[in-house]
Amino acid sequence: MRAGSLGKHLPEGMIRWVTRRHRADGAQTTLGRDRIYILPTRAGYTLLAILGVMLLGAINYSNNMAFLLTFLLVGIGHNAIWYTHRNLLGLKVSALSTTPVFAGQPLSVSLRLEDTRGRDRESLHLSIGGYTSEAVAVPANGRQVATVPLPVLGRGVYRLPRQHLGTRYPLGILNAWSWLGLTSEMLVYPQPVDPGAAHTGLGDEAGVQRRQDDASTPDHIRPYRPGDPPGRILWKALARTGKLHIRETVEGARDTFWIDWSAMPASDTETRLSMLCHQILAAEAEGRAWGLRLPDQILPPGRGPAQRERGLRALAEYRFEPIPLPIPETTRGTKK
Amino acid sequence: MNRVRRHHSPELRGLELALLALPVAALPHAWYQPPWVTLIVAAAVLLRTWLHLSDRKPPSIGLMAILAAFAGGMTFLQYGTLFGQEAGTALLLVMMALKLLETRNRRDIVIGLFLGYFVVVTTYFFDQSLVIAAWSLLSTWLLTAALIQVHAGRTLERRRLAKQSGWMIVHALPFMLILFVAFPRVQGPLWGDPQRDDVATTALSGELNPGDIAELLQDQTTAMRVQFHDAVPPPRAQYWRALVMTNFDGRRWQAEGGESSIELPSPGKPDEVVAYTATLEPTRVRYLPVLDYPVSLPDNAEYRDNHQVIRDRRIVNRIQYVAEADLTRPPGGDAPLSESARERALELPPSAAPRARAEVALWRATHGDDDRAIIQAALDRFAAAPYRYTLQPPTLEGDVTDQFLFETQAGYCEHYASAFAVLMRSAGIPTRVVTGYQGGEWMQRGEYLRLRNADAHAWNEVWLDGEGWIRVDPTAAIAPERIEAGIGGLTGGEGEPVPDFLRRDGLGWVQQLRFGFEDWRDFARFRWESWVLAFDPERQRELFARFGLDATDWRDIVIALGTGFGLLAVVALAWSVWRRPRRPRAAPDRLLQHLSRRIERQQAGLGRHAHEPVVTWTRRVKAARSDLAPIVDAFAEHYNQTRFAPTRPDDRARHLTALRRLAASDLRKPAAGHPVPRMT
Repeated sequence: MRAGSLGKHLPEGMIRWVTRRHRADGAQTTLGRDRIYILPTRAGYTLLAILGVMLLGAINYSNNMAFLLTFLLVGIGHNAIWYTHRNLLGLKVSALSTTPVFAGQPLSVSLRLEDTRGRDRESLHLSIGGYTSEAVAVPANGRQVATVPLPVLGRGVYRLPRQHLGTRYPLGILNAWSWLGLTSEMLVYPQPVDPGAAHTGLGDEAGVQRRQDDASTPDHIRPYRPGDPPGRILWKALARTGKLHIRETVEGARDTFWIDWSAMPASDTETRLSMLCHQILAAEAEGRAWGLRLPDQILPPGRGPAQRERGLRALAEYRFEPIPLPIPETTRGTKK
Repeated sequence: MNRVRRHHSPELRGLELALLALPVAALPHAWYQPPWVTLIVAAAVLLRTWLHLSDRKPPSIGLMAILAAFAGGMTFLQYGTLFGQEAGTALLLVMMALKLLETRNRRDIVIGLFLGYFVVVTTYFFDQSLVIAAWSLLSTWLLTAALIQVHAGRTLERRRLAKQSGWMIVHALPFMLILFVAFPRVQGPLWGDPQRDDVATTALSGELNPGDIAELLQDQTTAMRVQFHDAVPPPRAQYWRALVMTNFDGRRWQAEGGESSIELPSPGKPDEVVAYTATLEPTRVRYLPVLDYPVSLPDNAEYRDNHQVIRDRRIVNRIQYVAEADLTRPPGGDAPLSESARERALELPPSAAPRARAEVALWRATHGDDDRAIIQAALDRFAAAPYRYTLQPPTLEGDVTDQFLFETQAGYCEHYASAFAVLMRSAGIPTRVVTGYQGGEWMQRGEYLRLRNADAHAWNEVWLDGEGWIRVDPTAAIAPERIEAGIGGLTGGEGEPVPDFLRRDGLGWVQQLRFGFEDWRDFARFRWESWVLAFDPERQRELFARFGLDATDWRDIVIALGTGFGLLAVVALAWSVWRRPRRPRAAPDRLLQHLSRRIERQQAGLGRHAHEPVVTWTRRVKAARSDLAPIVDAFAEHYNQTRFAPTRPDDRARHLTALRRLAASDLRKPAAGHPVPRMT
C-alpha cells in the first residue's frame, strides 16, 4: 500500500514543488486534469507481474487464447487508468466551516464534494496529514460531505493544511489523487478550567476585582454554580455547611460582569485562558451580560451567542499566530 | 438479519462476489483435474461461504499452513512434481481455494481474485475451444466485478457492478485485438517442451503395418481443414500426401525423412494450379500434408528428395499454411531415377511373398516388358471378386502379403497399398507407399474441406521412365466410391459396419437437424481455429506483409502498434465529444423546466421565471391554482431532496422517479372527484 499512498508520504518540499503551479484554491475548487496525479498501487504492480508471467507462458506455450486473455487484462488495466482518473475529474470540492471545539475535544474537518458531470463517484478518500476519512460516494449531480477526524489539539487558531483527495476505484490497481489547498480556519478554544477549583486555599478576594456598586448592593445567597467568580464564594459558609455558596447582588442578571485576565488565580497564560473560558461559559449559562478584559484587548460587555463566540475567539487567538495544523504527514491515522 | 457481524469488516464487502467468481473461473478444470482437486476447491468455497454466512472467523494461520502443506504433498504424490502444466495447475487451484478460505482482509480477496485470472488462463493448457473462450469472458466479468466491489467504498447495486465490469471488458476488447495482432510474436518455447506428454495427438503413423488394427480410421476428430482459394479440385484428385514409405521388411513399411531437400517443380499452366490454405491440428511430428503435387510451400517447410514435405520443427500447435499444387505434375518426371533410389524402391526381402512372386512371374510372361499392363493386371485382380473393402479385416499372420492376397482377401487401403507395392516390386517396377488423406467432407457452410483422421488413406506411386512417380490407388479399384465420395460414401454392403458419424444418407429429420447443427458447430470452430488459434509468427508475418510491413522489424511493429492505438484514441476521442452535449443539464432541472412549461401552457404567466427560486414559484402557482398544490409541493420537496441534500444514489433514483411522474402528471382543472396525486 505504501506505493499507492505516495501522495501522502512524499517529502513536504517535493509536494510543494509539484503543486507550485496550482492556483490558490480559496474556499472552492474544481479538480481539473492539471492537478490529478495517478500512479499504480502495490496491487497494481502485483497485477503487472502476474500479467508478465501470463505473457511469458503464452509465448512459451504458443497459446493464443492465453495471449488473448493476457491482452484483455492489459486492456482492462490500461483503461483503469482512465476510469480511476475520471473518478476525480471535474469534482467540485469546497471547504465547510469547521465547528470550533474546546481544547481536548477531537476536531473534525469536512469538505463538500459535488459532482456536476452526471457521473457517480465512488470510494473517495480525503486525507489530511495522516488522517483519512471513510470512503465517500458522491451520486451523479449530487453532493456529499467527507469528514476527517483529527487528533486532539491545543488551544489556538489553525489553518487547514494541504488536503489529499484520493481514490483507487474501480480496480484498486491505481491510485489517483489531487492535492488541495482549500483554506479554512479552525478554532480551538481553551479547555474550560474552573478558577474556583484552582483557587481553593487562597481565600483572598484581592485577586477578584469587584466593582464598587457590586459591593454596595444587598447580598443574596445562592448555591455555587460553575463559572461563578471565586471572589463571591462565601468561604465561611463553606466552613460551616461544607457547601459552596456565593453572594449575589439582587440585580445579578442585569449587572455587567467583567471577566478579567488579571483576576485569574493562575500564573501561566494557558491556565488563565482556560479559566477565562470557563467564566465566559458560566456567564452565558446564567444569561448575564459580560465583558472581557485581556491584556491587549477589551471586549465590550454583551451577551448571547455572538458575544460568546467573540469572547471565545479572542481567547483562542490570544497571542497565537494562525499556524497550519501541527499534524505529522506520516502519521498513520484511521486507515481506510 | 440484524445480527451484528463481528467478523465482517467493510473490507470483506467483495467476498460474496469472489465466492461466486472463483468457482466459476475454476469450473472448467473439473474436467481435467483429479477429483481430489475439485473436491478441495468445492469444499473450501462451501466452507468459506458457511463461515461468512454464519459470521465465523476464518481458520487460523497455523491450520492454513498445515492445509497448504497437505495440498502440496497431495499434488506431489499425484504428479511427482509441483511444476509443469498439470501439477502447477493443480497446485494453483488448491492454493487459490486455501487463499479464499483464509481470507481476512481486502488484500486477501484481491490476491484471490488475481489468482482467479491465473486460473482462467491455465484452462487453456487443456482446452482452447470457443465454449471455453465464452466461459473465460464470463469468469473475467465476474472476477472484475468482484474486484470493483472490493474497492468500492460501499455495497454497489448488482446492476451497477454488472454494467461497470461489462463496460470495462468491452472497452478493453479493442486493446486486446490490436495487441493480439501486432504484439511482436516469437516462436515458443522459451524453455522446456511445452507439449504435455499425455495429450493424445493423432498423426499418421510413420509405419504402415497391414496386420494392425487401423484405429485411426475410427477417429472422427478433425485432422485438417482446407480452404481453396479458387476452384475446388474434384474429389478423386484430392490426395493429400504426408508420408512416403520406401522401406519394407516383409511385414511393415517405414517412412523416412529423405536425405536432402530439393527444388520444387515449377508450376504448370496457371489454371491447373490449385492454391489453398490449410489449418492443421497439432500432430507433434514434422510432416506437412500437402495436396498432390506440391509446387509451392510455406517458407518454413522443405521438399525432401523422397517427395515428402516436412516442416522445420514439430507441429505442437495448430498451424495454418498456404501452399499450391499442380494436379498434373507427378514428382520426379523431369529427371531419371537415380540408381540408388531405384534399388531402394525395388527392395524386397528374398523370403517375402513367394506366392505373389509366382503370380507376378506369370503376368510378366504374358505382358512382357509392358509395365502398364502389369499394373493393370494387378488392379484387375483387386477389382475382381472376392476382394472386398472392409474396415474390420481379419488379422493377418505369417506372410502378410500372401495371406491377404490369397486367403483373407478383405482389407482397407493399407492392405491394398502394401500388397500392390509387393506385387509391383516383384515385377521389377519401382514402387512406394504414400500415406496421407483422401476425400474429406465438403462443408457447405464456410466452403471448406474438412479432413478427419478417418480420412487417412494409403496409396502407391510407381516409377515409369519418362513420366515420374505416377500415383496408382489400388483401393480405387476395389472400392471406387471410397475415392469418389470419401470414406462415408461406403455403404455397408454386406452388413459392413460404417461408423455412424460417416453416414449421411437415409437419415431422418432429427439426424438431419443434428448434422445441420454439427455443420454450424464445425464452421464456428473452424473460424475460431483458423483466425484465432492458428495465428502464429508465420501468419503475423503474412498479415504484416499485406500492409507492406515487416513483422520481424521492430520499427514496423512500432508503426503497426502506433497506428492501431492511434486509431483507437481517435475513436475514443470522437466518442467522448459525441457524448458530451447529451447531458446539457441535470435531470431534476430538466424536469423542473418541463413542469413549468406545462403549467405555463395551462395558464400564462404561471411558468417559472429565470432565477426564480422554486419555493417562490410554487407559492405563486398555488395562489393561482390551488388544485395544483399537491403536485408542485411534492415536486418541490423531491427537487430539493435531489438538489440540496446529500443523497445516496438509490434515494436519488427514487426522487427522480417521483419527479418524472410528477412532471408528467395531469394538470387539468379537476372536475368533481378528479383524483389528485399524492406526495410519496
